[in-house]
Amino acid sequence: MAIAAGAVPRRRRRLTWRRALRGSVPYWLILPVAAALAAILGYPIYSLFRLSLQHYTLFELIRHEGQWVGLHNFGSVLHDAVFWHTVARTVVFTIANVGMTMVLGTLVALLLVRVSAWARILVTAGLVLVWAMPQVVAVQVWYWMTNYQNGVVNYVLTELRLGDFFHHDWYATTFSQLGLVTALIVWGALPFVAITVYAALSQVPAELVEAAEIDGARPSRVFRDITVPILRPVLLILTSLSILWDFGVFTQPYLLIGQAHIHPGNYLMGVYLFEEGYLHSDYGRGAAISLLMLLMVAAMSVVYVRRMVKIGDVE
Amino acid sequence: MRSRLFAVAVAALALGAVAATAAASGQRHQANKLTVWLQVDAQSGWPDVVAAASKEFEADHPGANVDVQYQNWGDHLQKFDATLAGGNTPDVIEMGNTEMTKYMAAGAFADLTSFRSSFANSRSWLKGLAASGRYGGKVYGVPYYAGSRVVTYRTDLFKKARINRLPRSVAQFTADARTLARANRATKGFSPVYTAGTDWYFAMSFVYDYGGTIARTRGGKWTGTLNSKQSLAGLTAFKRFFLAASRASKTSDENHPAPYDVYSQGGAGAIIGPAWFSCCVGNKYKADTAQFVMPSHVTGKSMPGFLGGSDLAVPVTASSKSLAADWIKDFTSTAAERSLQAKGNIPNATNLLGSSVNERAAVRSWFVPTAKHWVDVENSNVLRTMLAQILTGKASVRKAATSASRTITSVLNGS
Repeated sequence: MAIAAGAVPRRRRRLTWRRALRGSVPYWLILPVAAALAAILGYPIYSLFRLSLQHYTLFELIRHEGQWVGLHNFGSVLHDAVFWHTVARTVVFTIANVGMTMVLGTLVALLLVRVSAWARILVTAGLVLVWAMPQVVAVQVWYWMTNYQNGVVNYVLTELRLGDFFHHDWYATTFSQLGLVTALIVWGALPFVAITVYAALSQVPAELVEAAEIDGARPSRVFRDITVPILRPVLLILTSLSILWDFGVFTQPYLLIGQAHIHPGNYLMGVYLFEEGYLHSDYGRGAAISLLMLLMVAAMSVVYVRRMVKIGDVE
Repeated sequence: MRSRLFAVAVAALALGAVAATAAASGQRHQANKLTVWLQVDAQSGWPDVVAAASKEFEADHPGANVDVQYQNWGDHLQKFDATLAGGNTPDVIEMGNTEMTKYMAAGAFADLTSFRSSFANSRSWLKGLAASGRYGGKVYGVPYYAGSRVVTYRTDLFKKARINRLPRSVAQFTADARTLARANRATKGFSPVYTAGTDWYFAMSFVYDYGGTIARTRGGKWTGTLNSKQSLAGLTAFKRFFLAASRASKTSDENHPAPYDVYSQGGAGAIIGPAWFSCCVGNKYKADTAQFVMPSHVTGKSMPGFLGGSDLAVPVTASSKSLAADWIKDFTSTAAERSLQAKGNIPNATNLLGSSVNERAAVRSWFVPTAKHWVDVENSNVLRTMLAQILTGKASVRKAATSASRTITSVLNGS
């Protein structure tokens, strides 16, 4: 945009109105985007904010009119121990998920570089299939596999003589429940990270690696001092995006842990929002929770946005 | 990539957005079109009864047409809430009897008191079911049908284990379960009496059998009573029975898996649940399947069972209250109720009752507290969490019950 604005020819200086028009072209160009964002993002946020200041339950829903209660909803959420426990649990959950996704994704990408062409095609096809599987279908498949009564995981683990897993209940403890959700999410997120990192790896100049090797650098040293610095922008962006996705995750925990197992002791933020807002029909409180969640997500995305801006500057 | 960020933000806002559209959209209704929401049970079990009622209704009201849309128990309330916000509510909706109170209290349903006399058998409606559709002395829900819970069992396995008489007490049933377990040692994972660990409908039957309750009300204030002496005795008896009789997961509910699936795969000598479970025991065991009423801890008596059931209600936003009431009238006629009875359901009035095992089990029954916020107790799985803690031994009966009781008190009184 900056280039377009700077390119306005100087000799038309005299025709000020025309110059003004030319100068405003960039703004006209971004107008559709700005308008679209205001419509699909601005207005809902405004409505959400209004809703969060109201007592709005089923009773008000039927009458289409809430009662103004000021910041009461925010106060009640912030004084709710369940909220803070959920935030803490979600943060730990997010760190575990993002960490595993990034490490495993990078390892798969490094593997892709080293294997033969046919193996690479096979692995890539597998990754794309995982990526293409709808979340709900994936959850159902995982649920079947980990089923208590006749799940294939228990069967295989027992056959492999890793212990007696007959009637092992994978949904018995919160740790085990969230562990399954983590496995499912990491599995689903691997393809995106692996393929993106693999693409970035092709940017690492072969001469540089070769030169380092001639100088006697071991592979681990090459990876640390050459590959990682070159990959850093991509890794940072992937990490930031993964944090945003995993923090607000809803489908996997809600469907996999199942409605009968969901209770305040295993809430993640997305589930907490749904339970408090929808199932308890307390929409005002739900709106307050989603605004607080939005603030947290926005704070976390600062890193991502700053990185994007920096990369833009370099180019 | 930036759009990903916005996608996340938009997802976070989904809740607000849906509620926000409430003000924006209006009501759309086609004249003379009656939209009815029934549960899928009717679609799979008695579509002929639905068709007959609609046909009769359309004959009485030329030009009118009935659009029956089938819903699932799992999400029909969320869908209904969305229509309350955005318009397009159905004209008639089937509600579970435990779901009624919250909506009646919020003023979601039209008062049908003046139509009451036009409904067949309305003088002798089943007490429990009629009570679930009444609020503040007015009628909002018309009883549709009920269902009780019974024991469905394998007659061949009982015979093989030389159990010649049906159990007349819990103690006897427990002894029979041990006998069955011994006789079927070869079947891996065999449950003499399969019942899901967190099946609270069954567990609470023990509580009520010992004279306990889930909650009591006095002067408009609710108190959770699962930690009363009687309730604790009931919960302890439930734990003892479960550990002796069932190899089901201690943390799963009665839908994961469905007990009749375990049964039809040969994994159970008996299952406990709605009488219609007999539908799905599998061809292999169909001939060797029978049912009896769950016995009480007192010899010779039956254990109070949960009386499930459905009501039909008319949302306040319905286009025509009298048309809706007319359709309900046709759908709950004596003939229609007789057809439902023939499918194994309990008809909506005492004068229609027969002597099937289902109907005998309904004689002693219990019902959830009729509190405005009861459905929130169900939704946050307070009872299921408590049962899982008790059965896995994570907490003692007293500790788990006391904590659940405290939660129930606070939820029922609405915070």
